[in-house]
Amino acid sequence: MGEKVSEIVTASLRKFAVWCLAWAALLPHASAHRIDEYLQATLVIIEPGSIRLEINLTPGTDVAAAVLAQIDRNGDGVISAEETNAYGEALKRDLAVALDDRPVDLKLASAQCPSVDELRSGSGIVQIVFTVPPGVLTAQPHRLEIHNRHLPAMSVYLLNAGQPQFFNTAPPEAGSIEITAQKRSVNQDTGTIEFIFRPGANASAK
Amino acid sequence: MNCISLKRSLAAACVFSLLSLAQAQEPVAAPVAEAATKFLGLLDDTQRGQVVYDFKDEAQRQRWSNLPTTFVKRGGLRMGDLTAPQREAVHAILAAALSPQGYEKVREIVEGDETLKKPSGGPLFGHDEYYISFLGKPSGTEPWIIQFGGHHLGINITLVGGQGTLAPSHTGAQPALYEWEGKTVRPLGHETDKSFALMNSLDDAQRQKATIGSQMHDLVLGPGRDGKMIQPEGIKGSDLTEKQQDALLDLAGEWTGIMRDSVAKTKLEEMRKNVAETWFAWSGPMEKPGLAYFRIQGPTVLIEYAPQKLGGDPANHIHTIYRDPTNEYGAQWGKK
Repeated sequence: MGEKVSEIVTASLRKFAVWCLAWAALLPHASAHRIDEYLQATLVIIEPGSIRLEINLTPGTDVAAAVLAQIDRNGDGVISAEETNAYGEALKRDLAVALDDRPVDLKLASAQCPSVDELRSGSGIVQIVFTVPPGVLTAQPHRLEIHNRHLPAMSVYLLNAGQPQFFNTAPPEAGSIEITAQKRSVNQDTGTIEFIFRPGANASAK
Repeated sequence: MNCISLKRSLAAACVFSLLSLAQAQEPVAAPVAEAATKFLGLLDDTQRGQVVYDFKDEAQRQRWSNLPTTFVKRGGLRMGDLTAPQREAVHAILAAALSPQGYEKVREIVEGDETLKKPSGGPLFGHDEYYISFLGKPSGTEPWIIQFGGHHLGINITLVGGQGTLAPSHTGAQPALYEWEGKTVRPLGHETDKSFALMNSLDDAQRQKATIGSQMHDLVLGPGRDGKMIQPEGIKGSDLTEKQQDALLDLAGEWTGIMRDSVAKTKLEEMRKNVAETWFAWSGPMEKPGLAYFRIQGPTVLIEYAPQKLGGDPANHIHTIYRDPTNEYGAQWGKK
């Protein structure tokens, strides 16, 4: 009986070893792409009537499991729309955004998540968009401050302002935005974007 | 100015104008279309159906990446699935579309990937894992796009008549230094060397302006970021000396010069006109082999160069991107 159990265990271990080798063969060369970091890249698009934070989150292969645990909450290997949105809301709680020194409420505008396999491979990108109701911008300098505290132990960050004239979809009478300065912390988890709002011709006439 | 000098000047101006006209009218697309048609002639019907996409196929336009093909699937035909004459025909297309140095750079990136294949023995790397496709039918007059790429390479060449653009395209290197056919190869060596030379030519005040005081962990507008543009940073071209401006354009020429000479020359002339409005930004040490990121951004160009700390030696793993905010996939030329 003992020998039989031992044989079964040995056979199982052999199968496991073969499976591991097969899996290792399928894995990319270790240095092929991001491994032990979670890249969180934020693009801040400021328009006369809206402010948008587009955040692309790319987990490396070594941290993918930890990130997946945050997204696939029921652990069924499938990421549902509800789980994706819940992750977006969790990310929102880790972001502190202030416009002219006043905290603003972010609104989750969209959240998209690739498959579990894509995330595990290091090629999957979680894409989350938040909007900020800017209220009525006055024709003066403004400051938008952003602090990202999401999973800091494993993360690296990029924070950039979009070029307003490239994105501006508002009609000329809505006015225009000019970015005057971008300041970031060394690791880019925190940054300030200074900008000026110039009202359109109609608004000036009023 | 005396009469003889005036006549000489006028003659020189006429010759210059004629040369410019000849250059503008040089049929850029036609010889490449001819090479592409020869390639199509070597394929069977199934392969022809797989390699040509509609010019407006947005999904295929965006199917390029820095990642290996097993992670981001490419469209078109896989080089490893082609016969030797078919593969030679693909190289003939690239040689016709690119400058000699551009074609060499592409080959060196691909051969660099081949060196990754040997240690693992897996199917993920190597020159078999590159794909060719066309968007639109190869033509000497109508717009069409050649896509060629795989791991660390994604070139999108849009051609129409006498015009062409490489935007958007990705080049990369891993390893950034290797031995091939008995010689030492650095696929992005000129980019690296020229950037450090430019940065070191700046005085203290200029350097301070050029330096981004934060770490750049990756490309900001790499593959998958079509349709975006960031606020320029760094030192403006108008704050550079004429010699430094020349060095900046020479550095940018490592990307614009991938295309065949007449296209590259036109692009460089356009960039020269805008040089005062072109920015140069730097993040990282100023001594090689440092992990230094840089960006060149002007009205019609965005170039980023980012070493990757993704395991191994970061200086041996580089990603770059070349974009034109005004003319991605030849958007200026109408038909889309």
